[in-house]
Amino acid sequence: MGETAITTKELGKKYGSFWALENCSVSVPEGRVSALVGPNGAGKSTLLKLLVGLSSASSGQSQVLGKQPAQHGDFLADIGYLAQEIPLYKSMDTNDHIEMGRNLNARFDEGFIRKRLQDLQIPLDRPISKLSGGQRAQVALALALAKKPKLLLLDEPVAALDPLARHDFLSSLAQAVADGGLTVVMSSHLLADLERVSDHVIVLASGKTQLCDDIETVLNEHLILVGPRQTVGHLGDKLSIIHQTQTARQSTLLVRGTVPKKLPSGWQRHEPNIEEIILAYMGQAKEGGER
Amino acid sequence: MNWLAWRQHRIQFLIFGILLVIYAAVVIPSGLHFWHAYQQMVSSCAHNPANPSCTDIYGNLFRTTTDKLLIGLIPTAVLFLPIILGVFWGAPLLSKEYAEGTNSLVWTQSISRRKWLTVKLAWMLLATALLAGAFAALNTWWSKTPNALNMDRFSNGNQFGIQGIVPVAISLFAVSYGIMLGAWFRKTMVAVGITLVLFVACSHIVIPNLLRPNYLKPLSVTAPFGPDRSSSGTGVPSNAWITSQIIYNGSGREIVGDIFSAAPPQCQKVIQQAEVPNSGGRAFKAVPSPNGDDPIAECLDKAGWYQVTTYQPGYRYWDFQEIESAIYLGLAAIAVGATYWLVLKRDA
Repeated sequence: MGETAITTKELGKKYGSFWALENCSVSVPEGRVSALVGPNGAGKSTLLKLLVGLSSASSGQSQVLGKQPAQHGDFLADIGYLAQEIPLYKSMDTNDHIEMGRNLNARFDEGFIRKRLQDLQIPLDRPISKLSGGQRAQVALALALAKKPKLLLLDEPVAALDPLARHDFLSSLAQAVADGGLTVVMSSHLLADLERVSDHVIVLASGKTQLCDDIETVLNEHLILVGPRQTVGHLGDKLSIIHQTQTARQSTLLVRGTVPKKLPSGWQRHEPNIEEIILAYMGQAKEGGER
Repeated sequence: MNWLAWRQHRIQFLIFGILLVIYAAVVIPSGLHFWHAYQQMVSSCAHNPANPSCTDIYGNLFRTTTDKLLIGLIPTAVLFLPIILGVFWGAPLLSKEYAEGTNSLVWTQSISRRKWLTVKLAWMLLATALLAGAFAALNTWWSKTPNALNMDRFSNGNQFGIQGIVPVAISLFAVSYGIMLGAWFRKTMVAVGITLVLFVACSHIVIPNLLRPNYLKPLSVTAPFGPDRSSSGTGVPSNAWITSQIIYNGSGREIVGDIFSAAPPQCQKVIQQAEVPNSGGRAFKAVPSPNGDDPIAECLDKAGWYQVTTYQPGYRYWDFQEIESAIYLGLAAIAVGATYWLVLKRDA
């Protein structure tokens, strides 16, 4: 522990005049399973592509496993990447993909992938185009894992899967993580799925980092306060308010920082769950964007 | 990486390998047959030149429908081979990877993008050279009979591009531009369309018409104005490629357009006498003058008219083959360089 698998500093990616990702600074310690969340178009895929060297940054720096992302084998050997569309060669079968993995990776565990896909009862001699979406995702994940990577980057791997296939995929992932030595960054907009497997979270919205920390720390640092609307200003001086919703009389605040033991009269505290916190940060970014 | 390149493209290679075998199975017996028949005809005509079939050896040799079909199809196959390879081998090579997203699968294995591209290009370009070389060799060998009869392998623009070494260079050109355009536009159909347009523009318009006549400075011969503007009357060797023929009048001015209206006054009378009514343009009686010449030509010749013929002599054929191949290979090298740039410098 203590080593960081990924550090980015003010990383940015511009397409034409549009910044898909802007001033993105994140840090993921080794061994974490990090959930990369944010609305569509927040720059999640862009960030993952920059980290694996498929795209080159327009500004800022990144260090991935101590190296700058690049197109050579030295860098790529330690990283497993799964693109959003789960691309595989449609006319080839799984055996061919295993053979490809063996040919293109010095450290490819053929025994592991064969056993794994056998356990999942995936027919190895059937063309990829004849497999279900869930089976394809499992083949692609197995290929990425058979590289024996130190870091696994998954771009919305479960988005296109039905609930059962999604469950199986996440179980496979959890099992691989339990085997140890693996850092994972997985993007998704399905918060509930991420909660099951992650212990770290990165919230991206409007091309910027809103939150990047261990889930435990995030939970400890945030509170929901509910109280009379008139006295909000009084609290706001001492706390950073991430998000607030108002009714005629009542305010609900999501705050970060140390909340005084004694609250003003009429105020109550709640422990938020991670989903509420993430939504609050995404809402804050949205309001910020509209302002 | 060799394994993947082979696995991905073996079907394409197999299909064209089969086509080559079929082509050889047609070309070899047909080539032997025509060559022997031609030899026989030549030797029998040497003994008996009065035989009516000796006036048109070509027509007698390629007499049946099958013969005409063969003389049409065998050379045409090599004419179309480069663009077919450009469309079916070149254009999809990279565009299909981009379109199906498999580039991001293969670019995140433990192999550099440069090596991946080098291996793919090497397989495809080597296969192209071998296949086009085999087709071109077969057609060149088969064409020795029509070549001996027509002597047009140099002067006929299409024949020049389908015999010798040029077909190999054109095929490499077509395939490499297909690949480059595929990497550029990332959509197979767009790459196919632009490859077609570029191929027709380069290898059917610009290169044969604008560049090829000027590879070496043409020779020229000045001759009296003759009735038939064929090479026989101008002192040009029969296997030469005539690149231009210009008529000048007595004061050395180039004649452009209708020579009859440009004729001097003393010849207008001769022209009028020879002219016969004709609905589709002007027609003239073939009334030879006492010395056997056409009276109009004779009159124009007397008025000082002459013609200058420029030509490329037949012995430059292989020089031209080499120069043109070098041009196509140079263009192909540009496409390959651009492909590296597009693949390595652009995002996935």
